[in-house]
Amino acid sequence: MAATAAVPRASSSKTESYVDTKRRDDVRQANIIAARAVADAVRTSLGPKGMDKMIASANGEVIITNDGATILNKMEVIQPAAKMLVDLSRSQDAAAGDGTTTVVVLAGSLLKSSLSLLSAGVHPTAVSDALHRLSIRAVDVLHGMAIPLDLSNRDALVKSAATSLNSKVVSQYSSLLAPLAVDAVLSVVDPAQPDIVDLRDVKIVKKLGGTVDDTELVKGLVFDKKVSHSAGGPTRVENAKIAVIQFQISPPKTDIEQSIVVSDYTQMDRILREERNYILGMVKKIKATGCNVLLIQKSILRDAVTDLSLHYLAKVKILVVKDVERDEIEFITKTLNCLPIANIEHFREDKLGFANCVEEASVGDGKIVKITGIKDMGRTTTVLVRGSNQLVLDEAERSLHDALCVVRCLVNKKFLIAGGGAPEIEMSRQLGAWAKELQGMDSYCIKEFAEALEVIPYTLAENAGLNSIVIVTELRNRHAQGEINAGINVRKGQITNILEENIVQPLLVSTSTITLAAECVRMILKIDDIVTVR
Amino acid sequence: MVVQNARLLKDEATEEKGDRARMASFVGAMAIADLVKTTLGPKGMDKILQSTGRGHSVTVTNDGATILKSLHIDNPAAKVLVDISKVQDDEVGDGTTSVVVLAGELLREAEKLVNKKIHPMTIIAGYRMAAECARSALLQKAKDNKQDPDTFKSDLMKIAMTTLSSKILSMDKEQFAKLAVDAVLRLKGSTNLESIHIIKKVGGSLKDSFLDEGFILDKKIGIGQPKRIENAKILVANTAMDTDKVKIYGARVRVDSMAKVAEIEGAEKDKMKDKVQKIINHGINCFVNRQLIYNFPEELFADAGVLAIEHADFDGIERLALVTGGEIASTFDNPESVKLGHCKLIEEIMIGEDKLIHFSGVEMGQACTIVLRGASSHVLDEAERSLHDALCVLSQTVNDSRVLFGGGWPEMIMSKEVDELARKTPGKRSHAIEAFSHALQAIPTIIADNAGLDSAELISQLRAEHHKEITNAGIDVISGGVGDMEKLGISESFKVKQAVLLSATEAAEMILRVDEIITCAPRKREDRM
Repeated sequence: MAATAAVPRASSSKTESYVDTKRRDDVRQANIIAARAVADAVRTSLGPKGMDKMIASANGEVIITNDGATILNKMEVIQPAAKMLVDLSRSQDAAAGDGTTTVVVLAGSLLKSSLSLLSAGVHPTAVSDALHRLSIRAVDVLHGMAIPLDLSNRDALVKSAATSLNSKVVSQYSSLLAPLAVDAVLSVVDPAQPDIVDLRDVKIVKKLGGTVDDTELVKGLVFDKKVSHSAGGPTRVENAKIAVIQFQISPPKTDIEQSIVVSDYTQMDRILREERNYILGMVKKIKATGCNVLLIQKSILRDAVTDLSLHYLAKVKILVVKDVERDEIEFITKTLNCLPIANIEHFREDKLGFANCVEEASVGDGKIVKITGIKDMGRTTTVLVRGSNQLVLDEAERSLHDALCVVRCLVNKKFLIAGGGAPEIEMSRQLGAWAKELQGMDSYCIKEFAEALEVIPYTLAENAGLNSIVIVTELRNRHAQGEINAGINVRKGQITNILEENIVQPLLVSTSTITLAAECVRMILKIDDIVTVR
Repeated sequence: MVVQNARLLKDEATEEKGDRARMASFVGAMAIADLVKTTLGPKGMDKILQSTGRGHSVTVTNDGATILKSLHIDNPAAKVLVDISKVQDDEVGDGTTSVVVLAGELLREAEKLVNKKIHPMTIIAGYRMAAECARSALLQKAKDNKQDPDTFKSDLMKIAMTTLSSKILSMDKEQFAKLAVDAVLRLKGSTNLESIHIIKKVGGSLKDSFLDEGFILDKKIGIGQPKRIENAKILVANTAMDTDKVKIYGARVRVDSMAKVAEIEGAEKDKMKDKVQKIINHGINCFVNRQLIYNFPEELFADAGVLAIEHADFDGIERLALVTGGEIASTFDNPESVKLGHCKLIEEIMIGEDKLIHFSGVEMGQACTIVLRGASSHVLDEAERSLHDALCVLSQTVNDSRVLFGGGWPEMIMSKEVDELARKTPGKRSHAIEAFSHALQAIPTIIADNAGLDSAELISQLRAEHHKEITNAGIDVISGGVGDMEKLGISESFKVKQAVLLSATEAAEMILRVDEIITCAPRKREDRM
């Protein structure tokens, strides 16, 4: 490897003063082109009239989605710079949850302008520095446009969630899903820490069947599982006392390998009897505490329950849900306000949770278990998502996740900003004006980048089938006249005051879009070589 | 043609002699130096390292040591350069690119001299004299502000900023310089960077990074256990918390009834319970284990109100034991002999989307955690490497507080002195000494070149400036001219510069001495038919 690389370098080393930059430019150009190809791939999915992509993965699975992060994740890119764009959308997903397409499209457009700057002979670091200054200034502009928000203003929250949902496959259900997302997030906000929302406290359960219309918010718990009633146990319990157990109601098993030696016929009967007694003893202990619902953690070492124990549990009218995953235990115990029980000896009443009703409901082709009316319920909530086929269901879940993230952003940073391309065009206008005050290289670069920001309204219009040049120029004009909230109304196909149309988004989404895109582009610009290593 | 000698070496082993060997090593070393050359200086560029292994993972970096470490190299001389950069990284942490570039330049000069039929040994002798002279020039010019804590701190800030300015953190260098200086000053002179813990969390931007006094463990608290403990007594352990298995292969128990199996199971449970009780008897309220804690003991701990953290990584618990002043225990029979760790407060905190456990008010006051935030894992990894460089340099500077200016100033000072020495020295060696001075000047040249400046013009200006008795002139990359390094606040650690000078010279000398390369035949894999 080094030997082959050494040959051309050796010849260039003789002419000392000549700096060979050709190869470096090639690498940079290749990087930028690859990264822009990624951006172009997702460009058409931006905005309310954006199109969806169908992704067929290698194992024959098909996904239909409009979510930038998902599309990019499934695209198997190899080119390193293109990979960085995929990561960019992933970090936008982590930071804000929404705007994953926007950030990539924006980065692509910034790269395009960088390329023209580079070919004009500007040094890459100068471009990178200018971009950094631009992103700081852009955030200031956004802050200037922001509208403070009060969390009690539920309408405003619903509006911004609806804006995020409008661009998805499930947009026709946005009137249902948006309030649902808002309620879900608000119900998990801890009054002691009003700025922090942990989205893990919102559990999304998907169930095939019905339509997205049937999606509901459940105040309580939902398991995508059947009640184990092969032995005829109850499927509905009122005034439930719920125990979450991490042990197994089955014949004992030691950690050391063991074998029971049966030497004669009568012993077999005795062993069977002992097994029955053992299980009966456990069931009796459980019943003694008044428990009537058991949630049993999945065990890999042995069966969680056997037919025999199910039979006994059914006889004492205990409802059993088995195979609860270990990761879910924390969520369940938090919701039910109970403690997990790891040993039969510790089975005490004070570790139980209480609920008004535990029932099995049949939904579509499957069954679910619902626990409602939980006493002293923890700050958690469950959303049951329905859909007519798996593709819709998955997309509904992703869209709902985005909407939840949007609401979360608003809880974190209580500011709203107009949507519909208004912030981008305003940034572009103000930064363009600022560029005129600056001197030298910065001014030149910032002017170029300010124009690059217009890609968002441009794409929005283009995807909606509008005449993008007419729309963007009119938009620019309206902003120049001081209407900072003028944006593209895709439904009407014209420019309106976007705030009146209730198209709003969280400030955090916009700020993180611009800062993350700038950071990523700067990184790509600074690369001058790709080295293959082990 | 040379007459074919009798074969000394095995088949396939190759031998290169004399000029050819020297040529091969020069070319290899210079190729390596050229590869990393563009990363030098504040406007240096980054490289993508694309792995050919599984996953094709991608690293973006500006750190010379990282680039060189991961290269495939098949040239012995190039390997020598990679090694010196590694040593530089271990010893002082920064200047890993400079050392390779300087060594490469020394060899480039040497190649010319060899072509003029000057014996390599003469060159080496000249280089040695020049290096000694350059070092003493540096010693004279170095400043020491240890006595004055305020100036010393500002020196540290300057050094940190200079180091960081060539890295990805350059835009937020003030913040990170402050962060690094604070962290290093907490160490109070020790160079043990172990107690500075760096946690990387994707999300947010680099600006959101912060220094936290105390220790942060990236783990979760067990279910049903207290989420906040004041005046914690911590037992750090590495023990199996499932069951103490009989570790004889094939051990098994034979019983003749189900009841007995139940008994054994009960006995196993009791054993675990005893173990947990023993642990609790240490009078602790926080238990950190390296291995898993199963449901059963977890519940027992929860019942006793003890916070139990399972599956902490090895690095994590060692550091935790260090900072809380405890010891890692694996047996629990003698509570008196086990040293417990202490801290004032343990609580759960949220960074981004993740929950972490925060230990504050720890025993060892030096300890602190730097939480890095950034857009992607590439940014974070690179930020960590840069910060690590800064921390290394700072901790070295705290011990050896002599500082120099940066921006090519030390190289010009050295080159001037070496030039004078060349004029005084009679004989062929003076050529070598002169060549050394040329090689030194290559560093500011490259810095200027990387910044897209006219290097030939700048260097000559700089040389004229340095001809005066006292000068602080160096390259000001930002404005693109010659500037006063003191006013611009660009400083470097003396120790780093000295290490660069000495190891580069040594490496060049080593490669120069080579006159034959013997490549051993690769061991044949035996064909299995």
